[in-house]
Amino acid sequence: MFLDVLATLPPQSDFFGTIIYIVQSYYKIILYGLGVTILLSVVGTLGGFILAMGVTQARVVVIDAKRDRLFVKIYKAVFRQLAIIYVTVFRGTPMIVQAMIIYYGIATTGMFSWWGPLPAGLIIVTVNTTAYISEVLRGGLQAVDPGQMEAARTLGMSHRQAMRKVMWPQAIKNALPGVGNEFVVNLKDTAVLSVISVVDLFYSVRQGASATYRYYESFMIAAILYLILTYLSSKVVDYLSKRLDTTAEVNA
Amino acid sequence: MKRLFFVLFVLLALTLSACSTSSYEVEEGNTLVVGLEAAYAPYNWTTQTQNAFTVPLSGQPGAFVDGYDVVVARHIAEELGLVLEIKAIEWDGLIPALQAGQIDVIIAGMSPTSERAKTVNFSTEYYRAQQVMVVRTDSNYASATTLAGFTGAKVVAQLGTLQDDLIDQIPNVVHQTPLDSYNALTNAVLSGVADAFIAELPVAMSIVQSNSNLTFVNFAGSNGFTLSEEDVTTAVALRKRDTALLEAINGVLANISAETKDAWMLAALNRQ
Repeated sequence: MFLDVLATLPPQSDFFGTIIYIVQSYYKIILYGLGVTILLSVVGTLGGFILAMGVTQARVVVIDAKRDRLFVKIYKAVFRQLAIIYVTVFRGTPMIVQAMIIYYGIATTGMFSWWGPLPAGLIIVTVNTTAYISEVLRGGLQAVDPGQMEAARTLGMSHRQAMRKVMWPQAIKNALPGVGNEFVVNLKDTAVLSVISVVDLFYSVRQGASATYRYYESFMIAAILYLILTYLSSKVVDYLSKRLDTTAEVNA
Repeated sequence: MKRLFFVLFVLLALTLSACSTSSYEVEEGNTLVVGLEAAYAPYNWTTQTQNAFTVPLSGQPGAFVDGYDVVVARHIAEELGLVLEIKAIEWDGLIPALQAGQIDVIIAGMSPTSERAKTVNFSTEYYRAQQVMVVRTDSNYASATTLAGFTGAKVVAQLGTLQDDLIDQIPNVVHQTPLDSYNALTNAVLSGVADAFIAELPVAMSIVQSNSNLTFVNFAGSNGFTLSEEDVTTAVALRKRDTALLEAINGVLANISAETKDAWMLAALNRQ
């Protein structure tokens, strides 16, 4: 088997030999890290997308001065402010800072016995992505012609029905390329979570150099794996965007 | 708006103050959670090979940790009848993780400096090491025998370590921005970005062992750095409140001879 070709560490000058040595000595650890990176991106993007719909709805909500009762007006206003604060805070601070505060803050309370780097990392990437996708979705909603809302209301739909059946489906379609892009960004940006010891791809290749200090070769392996991940997922995002873009075919 | 922030702040302060304050009980069968970097050979490093010396890394299937610290941790756990669990944690995250209760002790080649001792308690020393300069074999500095021999050199060290403070003892030194790992330091010297970095003797030995282009300068007697006692030793770090555990660990460490420690360190260097 190729894994038995090199049993000892090759000399410093042997770049490819060192890469093979690190891969053969640490392939399990590196593959685990690769899996964690993919898990963080998938959970972060899907979870972020679902939560972002709620945040976006809270932000674009219209307070009807005439028809809404006082209680409805208050909760709409409160949730809108909370959503604005949420997006401002999580988009306005680096994920590395959020990671430190959330991970150690919750660990100090000792409230959850399951709290550890990986669950913390999943939550951090999700709340962070929620803020970014919320902006994408808001853009998607604004891109829908206001005439659509007027037409829906003329046909007798309530504001809520018009939002759910006319505005949101089109907004989501508009936003999908942006959401896919967020997935690709997450693949790379989750590397900062190694600061709270999440064993993602970046952290695992550092472990791969932990016994030998062959740092350069290890990060070369990481660069290649990250590039493969982002290249493949960009292709998938491109393909899906083209499939969904049915109006472009009609125009062409 | 201001009131909302105030309410949020009070909530945050309440949750933070609710943290547990009970101390660690040294009882047979309890789990001792040890934190280390798993990237500071020969004290501790990661491997995927399981053998008589390695311990599985908590929460990372297929990964094991080996090294001098692991031998010491196993010995302490065995002597006290505790179940050993080891977590890999970033260097800068070790003390926060200890305070936050994610780990019970730090056994990570950490020097018991007086700054750190303000936040955590330290056991008696479990290793004593000399500070050396790692340089390229083809460098002019490779033949230096005194600190003055490094006059004007570009010197770097790991972020937040004793070595970074020692740099300023070199005359006219170019004190470079500290880096976050020995991987990065090795790379800096190999690539010529820095002329030398400061490391403890066993660390330097292991780096030189796997990098033939590097060597180290070990200063004799008073030619080297002025060091205080607390700087040349490594010790186990504990939370301030865990005094019973501190006494128990000190009891175990007192029974390990200097010869045993050297043998453990040499064996760790050879396994690496």
